[in-house]
Amino acid sequence: MTSRIEVSIRKSLPGFTLDAEWTAGNGVVALFGPSGAGKTLTLQCLAGLVRPDAGRIVVDGHVLFDAVAGIDVPPQRRRVGYVFQGYALFPHLTVRGNVGFGLRDRGRAERRRRVDEVLARLALEAFAERYPRELSGGQRQRVALGRALATDPALLLLDEPLSALDLPLRQALRDELRNILAGWGIAAVLVTHDLTEAYRLGDRIVVYEEGRVIQAAPRAELLWQPSSRAVARIMGIRNLLQGVTIKATPEGIQFRWRGQVLEAVNSPTRAYLPAPGSPLAFFIRPEYVRLIRKDRDTVDSAHHMNLMSGTIVREVDLGVTWTLYVRLDEPGTPAQGDYDLEVEVPRLVYEILEIERDRHWRFSLHRGSIHVLPSG
Amino acid sequence: MSPDSISALRLSLQVAIVATALNALVGIPIAYLLARRRFWGKGLLDLLVTLPLVLPPTVVGYYLIVLLGRRGVLGAPLYNLTGWTVAFTWYAAVIASTVMALPLLVRTARAAIDSVDRDLERAAYTLGRSELRTTLEVTLPLARNGILAGLVLAFARALGEFGATLMLAGNIPGRTTTVPLSIYTAVQTGESAEALGLVAALTALSCLVLVVANRLGTRAA
Repeated sequence: MTSRIEVSIRKSLPGFTLDAEWTAGNGVVALFGPSGAGKTLTLQCLAGLVRPDAGRIVVDGHVLFDAVAGIDVPPQRRRVGYVFQGYALFPHLTVRGNVGFGLRDRGRAERRRRVDEVLARLALEAFAERYPRELSGGQRQRVALGRALATDPALLLLDEPLSALDLPLRQALRDELRNILAGWGIAAVLVTHDLTEAYRLGDRIVVYEEGRVIQAAPRAELLWQPSSRAVARIMGIRNLLQGVTIKATPEGIQFRWRGQVLEAVNSPTRAYLPAPGSPLAFFIRPEYVRLIRKDRDTVDSAHHMNLMSGTIVREVDLGVTWTLYVRLDEPGTPAQGDYDLEVEVPRLVYEILEIERDRHWRFSLHRGSIHVLPSG
Repeated sequence: MSPDSISALRLSLQVAIVATALNALVGIPIAYLLARRRFWGKGLLDLLVTLPLVLPPTVVGYYLIVLLGRRGVLGAPLYNLTGWTVAFTWYAAVIASTVMALPLLVRTARAAIDSVDRDLERAAYTLGRSELRTTLEVTLPLARNGILAGLVLAFARALGEFGATLMLAGNIPGRTTTVPLSIYTAVQTGESAEALGLVAALTALSCLVLVVANRLGTRAA
């Protein structure tokens, strides 16, 4: 992969140090992590609004910052478009004035032509003479994008582009934003603390925690192979558990957990081979734990692997789904406080199986649903 | 109204207008620097500009004499060089009013500039604008109402300036006797009708100014 963006920066602030390093190719990079992890600061360093203490920033072969060589291109000449959190539209200018703001050095006619073109592409022609306060959240987002894109930047930076919106609108605009970014074919770096947003918008995801990058990987890889427990925890992965290795081959891993012997598929791309007896971190998505119906006498071993049984100790109604907290029929301390596994079932299943009345169930885990994490 | 009163009114307006213009010229850049920049001596500048708000005007006038009087720190070289001194001219009244009004403008304008979202300025930078152009095209237009309100307050303060003006400019009828000084003289000499007329004129002007400042203030918020 040829890298379009190379970031390697260090910036110390009172009580916080950013020490981030990652690269990215074409497409959209999502910087994901909790608030205060240094994502926005990274964006500001990329734009030249904040000067790092040390390091190097290269975009498309152009060195924008190099502490050793003494290079620090000012924001005015970085060819970077910035969509601010809350959009930062100029309230005293119309939509046309906002979109044309970065085109001052072009001739009057050329400027008008370019603004018209951008407005048309973003379906904003009808609002050209309106002021930002007269626009809806979605229209504001498009104006902010248009203003940044009008100057043909080499890189587009977006800081929490959807956080200013209500939840229903947010989902619609997330898809709209994705289409705009794809349609424009521009390299973009986007900051978000919402995992769904990172997944829907980012081709590559860079996970931040406390000023550091703990994983940078293509989207699919991150979802199924978080590089460590730290990444899994930040990603809000539930049922993050620890077992003891029995046997590991490139095809599968056998391990012991809470008195059970479980079988998991090994990672197809990078087989992980822990030594027998060594600790092993894994996670099971709650929606992948299967409940076994009691009206089936025979249990098909091909379909029902990793069988276990337990009691529902608590449950939470989430509307569309129910979350069940299950304690296995094993002596000893449960793995997660007063329960071992979190299980998510659709509402319909919950009603059909009458789970409300029956507290004791058998469960199975498909080999492919157990995700083993390289330890860290 | 007597010719003296009319001359005082005219002089007061002239002094207040020039002092307000000087305030705009000096005060807006100071307000911007205090709101947006970090520099050595910022605290001192802030203190110096604000002092006239809390010091008795006579004390400010005294400092101005020490600085600009015929034997003053700056005044003496000027006098030796040109034989001219600012003391007891209407320029002295302008300088005294300017200094006394400056804190009102700087504080109001600074608050207005502070309230402009810094992301708007950052956006302008990424769109190719220099800091100066950004200030002129984004920051100041958005802080406009607050700055205008500050200028109106400065005008009112300059119009009513008494103590510092008396110290530096004296009370020379027709030359440095502004309305407040004229009122003082009228009361001292028992010309109560004269005093009443000027008091009424000044009160009406000040009320007008406050109404305008409030309008601007609410629109800014």
